[in-house]
Amino acid sequence: MSNKNGIGAEMLYGAKAAIPIVLGFIPVGIAYAIMAKGAGLNALETVLMSVCVFAGASEMMAVEMYKQGAVLVAIVLATFMMNLRHVIMSTCIFEKTERLGVFKRLFLGFFVTDESFAVITSEKKRCSFWFFASLGVTHYLAWVAGTAIGALAANMLPKSLSASLGISLYAMFIGLIVPGIKRNLRLLALVVGTAALNTLLSVFIQPSYSLIVSTLAGAFVGVFFVDLDGDKNADGKTRSSEIGDNLPAETEEAV
Amino acid sequence: MRLEIVLLVVLMALVTYVPRMLPSFIIGKIKIGKKTEKFLRLIPYTAMAALIFPGILNSVGDKAYYGLAGGAVAALLAYFKCPVVVCVIAAVAVDYILVMLP
Repeated sequence: MSNKNGIGAEMLYGAKAAIPIVLGFIPVGIAYAIMAKGAGLNALETVLMSVCVFAGASEMMAVEMYKQGAVLVAIVLATFMMNLRHVIMSTCIFEKTERLGVFKRLFLGFFVTDESFAVITSEKKRCSFWFFASLGVTHYLAWVAGTAIGALAANMLPKSLSASLGISLYAMFIGLIVPGIKRNLRLLALVVGTAALNTLLSVFIQPSYSLIVSTLAGAFVGVFFVDLDGDKNADGKTRSSEIGDNLPAETEEAV
Repeated sequence: MRLEIVLLVVLMALVTYVPRMLPSFIIGKIKIGKKTEKFLRLIPYTAMAALIFPGILNSVGDKAYYGLAGGAVAALLAYFKCPVVVCVIAAVAVDYILVMLP
């Protein structure tokens, strides 16, 4: 789809794909800002961290460690370890993105998150620069906006609403993964097995490590018993219901 | 703004950005075999599985079944080909009702 559609259509498609993430990032941003306030950061510092770091789980962990008086080096090291999972995700994302120049890659690299990974790798086709950029910037702005709302007006959202919005990122992951697994029993078994492994492992080791271990272990096991190629055809049909997947056809007509 | 926090933010930004950006410069330089390609194609599924569980159990309030109920609604709708946005909004709505219930 990279060259067929115009830049505007690609950007619109990317922003649309980001809507579920936006719904999730606003409340998580608020939750982070409340934690940061509790750790003694002022509003400007709280927002600055979101603007520069753009990693929800790491930011929450960092302000918690700061509150407990951890030394700076320890916080930075913990952040690094926590974000190592992005090496794996980034590899998958850039495998699925059109070939790009150095500066475009440097720019897009900033927008590699669990959520952009989930959306991009669930796309049927290769992603264009403008799709990725628009998805990236949209969910980045939502994260910064959520943080700013939390830092300046934490009680703007009613508690029951912000609590229930906590499900949104998980619902998005589920919405993205189900079409791919519903006609492939072995892949479903692999997904269930990996979820079980991660649930078990995270009791014993840090969640960020157990995520890496179970992701890699699951995919490794899957290489030997899941049949992905046989699934491809059935998959093509089921995937067509995904967000915006019918958009390229529409926009092609429009263009 | 305290210098200590600015320094923390800068260093955190660095160690977050580098692992995100670096793979884009390695891809294309390494030849990927059939098995490795399959491995990479499976990672989105296993990574998402690990992102969902166990996190979803603590996603809404303090009761695991809130998260599970919202997740079940999303899964059901996704199974019947609803767009992702619809899955998300329905899951939030169901959990909002559950949280509001006395």
